[in-house]
Amino acid sequence: MSTVERDPFILDRPTGRSLRARDAIACVLVAALLLLVVEGASIRSTGEKMDPGLERSVVLAVGHPAGWLADRLPFAAAADKVTASLSPDDDLTGEGGFNAAPVAAPAAAAGAAAGGGARIAITTDSFDPVELGVKPAKLPQLETLLVTGDSLAQPLDVQLARSLASDGVQTVRAAHLGTGISKTDIVDWGLLSTQQAKDRKPDAVVMFMGANEGFPFPGSGGEAIECCGPEWAVVYATRARRMMDTYRRGGAARVYWLTLPLPRDARLQEIARAVNAAIAVAAQPFRSQVRVLDMTSVFTPGGRYRAAQDVGGRETIVRRPDGIHLNDAGAKIAMGIVLERLRADFESLGA
Amino acid sequence: MVFPTVQFAVFFPIVLALSWALMRRQKVWKPFILTASYVFYAAANPLFCLMIAGVTLANQACAQLIHRSDDARVRKRIVVLAVALDLATLGVFKYYGFFATEINGLLDKAGLGLPLPLAAIALPIGISFIIFQAISYTVDVYRKLLPPAKTIDVALYLSFFPHLVAGPIVRAREFIPQLDSPRDPRRVAVGAGVALILIGLVKKVAIADFLAREIVDPVFGVPQAYAAPDVILASYAYAVQIYCDFSGYTDIAIGLALLMGFVFPQNFDRPYRAASFGEFWRRWHMTLSRFLRDFLYIPLGGNRGGRWKTVRNLMITMVLGGLWHGAAWGFVLWGAIHGAALVVEHQFRGRVKLPRWLGWALVFHIVVLAWIPFRAPDLGLAASYVSRLAEWGPATLWTAPVVIVTFLVVALQLAPARPMDALRVRFERLHPAALGASMASVILLVAATVSSQGVPPFIYFQF
Repeated sequence: MSTVERDPFILDRPTGRSLRARDAIACVLVAALLLLVVEGASIRSTGEKMDPGLERSVVLAVGHPAGWLADRLPFAAAADKVTASLSPDDDLTGEGGFNAAPVAAPAAAAGAAAGGGARIAITTDSFDPVELGVKPAKLPQLETLLVTGDSLAQPLDVQLARSLASDGVQTVRAAHLGTGISKTDIVDWGLLSTQQAKDRKPDAVVMFMGANEGFPFPGSGGEAIECCGPEWAVVYATRARRMMDTYRRGGAARVYWLTLPLPRDARLQEIARAVNAAIAVAAQPFRSQVRVLDMTSVFTPGGRYRAAQDVGGRETIVRRPDGIHLNDAGAKIAMGIVLERLRADFESLGA
Repeated sequence: MVFPTVQFAVFFPIVLALSWALMRRQKVWKPFILTASYVFYAAANPLFCLMIAGVTLANQACAQLIHRSDDARVRKRIVVLAVALDLATLGVFKYYGFFATEINGLLDKAGLGLPLPLAAIALPIGISFIIFQAISYTVDVYRKLLPPAKTIDVALYLSFFPHLVAGPIVRAREFIPQLDSPRDPRRVAVGAGVALILIGLVKKVAIADFLAREIVDPVFGVPQAYAAPDVILASYAYAVQIYCDFSGYTDIAIGLALLMGFVFPQNFDRPYRAASFGEFWRRWHMTLSRFLRDFLYIPLGGNRGGRWKTVRNLMITMVLGGLWHGAAWGFVLWGAIHGAALVVEHQFRGRVKLPRWLGWALVFHIVVLAWIPFRAPDLGLAASYVSRLAEWGPATLWTAPVVIVTFLVVALQLAPARPMDALRVRFERLHPAALGASMASVILLVAATVSSQGVPPFIYFQF
């Protein structure tokens, strides 16, 4: 870098044609109008996914009429047809979606109805051999590990992948940000879990999800089942149970489902408690293959949020500033717990 | 708020129309644009607006005091105080956690049980850009290059939404004079603005995010799982990704500003065609280079104090330039590599003359290698990444689109600019309705490449 006599950063005034300000507005409005006509439904759906507030209200104020218009015109379907091949998303179609199943009924019957399929009989799968004092049967080889969930699965996914690379384990990292079991607008986890199990056939699945929960479930009479009472937990547990059943592939795979460390925010804590209770109940029929790994007591003992804790004798921050996610240090702690259970379940990883 | 989102697509047309409608009434226009800019910033976290308001008021107070004082020593003390306050703000938000962890580690090793308190501090997006612009304002007033502006003008300068979160780093004396008189509604560079916005969108969404998803993130995340062919391609792909991500943001920012009647400085000029490191830094993040030159390198003495002082000044400037990107040793190493390369170049200037193609090859590949510690999560993983360059094995991520996109972007930088410029000029001459239709078509195509999880944030937002 040398000192320069003349400042070369003279503002480059565009040399091209100048138009009037009204042309600038007309140009942007033409573009906006075309986008409204074609993508009106997407604007509406984006608004519906946003958290309540001014921003959401403004987007919906545009999105509702735009969506209404787009629904009545053929352009959206035509544009989708033309651009479908450009989408990086997997085509989530077929059976297994939560929305395809009957809506929830309250209380005890809900479990069988809300996207949950039939009642599950008590079998030997319902018992964890360790609790019975029996040596658990190890699976021989961990070839493919799927680490999935929402944003909570990061950076745990990459840390597990690094840690297991030397064991020849292929780790599939599939965090779907902004998604949840109680919201199916971005991703229907019923469909996604079915496809993940079918396509990847993972020997083990690590699931860490729950940062975006608390949305109401549709009830059988069209009413909304609001978070976070027992009725809501029933539906959540039913959906989670079906995903666990999908991932365990009839016993061919092991599932490691992490509970939620309590978030800082009191309202989010209420949701996290409901999610954690639902996970515990969901796993009951598959205790021999589904491990519920308790992150709650590790990161928030006594139900109290803390950003830092003792790690290797030194006070270390383990949560991100948002008060929800784990940072790198926190994810390393979670990884240690997951690795311990993986080693106990797979011969190829050693003891 | 991120540019390529539905939220911004709703926000911008409203703000643009109202901005031109109110332009002749500056007493209304300025509060309106200031409010719009704060709304834009508050979308990330409303509390961050307090930080930017505080920085604005503190720098404006110091600038006024500097202007009113005739005593050189007093003026100097105030400017030092202002810069110290700015850097302290940056330090608390950006570097506290890093230095507290490092110092606690050293204290532990020394057996001193006096650890610094730890806190999980949220990093306001774009804080480094905001702080550098604040410093630019106060120092320019101190150097008498600019009289103190009205408080609302300073607030607008620091928060104007097109450049708020990732630059370009506009100097106060470039921006504030543009506020003095209303923009001329008969002379708006509509075509140039639209062209830049579309080029930026394609660079960010269709190229940078595509390469990140397909090769860069997997390989840099777990380099141990990949052999040399994938690691080599990922290195080139990251060089292309970071260029398209950052210059894409800048293109959009400059294009939006043009539609609103403002002119921003250029930030990139085909950097990968550089045949020397001096040239690279005149083409890459040009407004940061300029800032570092004017506010660090020259005040340190530049190249006026002899060979060793020049070496020292170059290294200090580049290492601090690296650290500006974030609190991590990888950024420091990246800055040190560039500093060392500039030093070597400076020492051999006039003594060794390389053919241009050889100079280009050397510079390009050292730049690509230097991106490895910049991108790797830590130095250990950077070392692991480099070690994989010698581990031969199968190419698992070499797909035709990844290879073509990566090498096409580099090739376009090496190609003569004239044909592309001619194409752009023809585009700029289109009728406004045709420009609008082109904009909608490109947005539709680009949006189709976005995953259901939305557009990832621009890389430079974290800086």
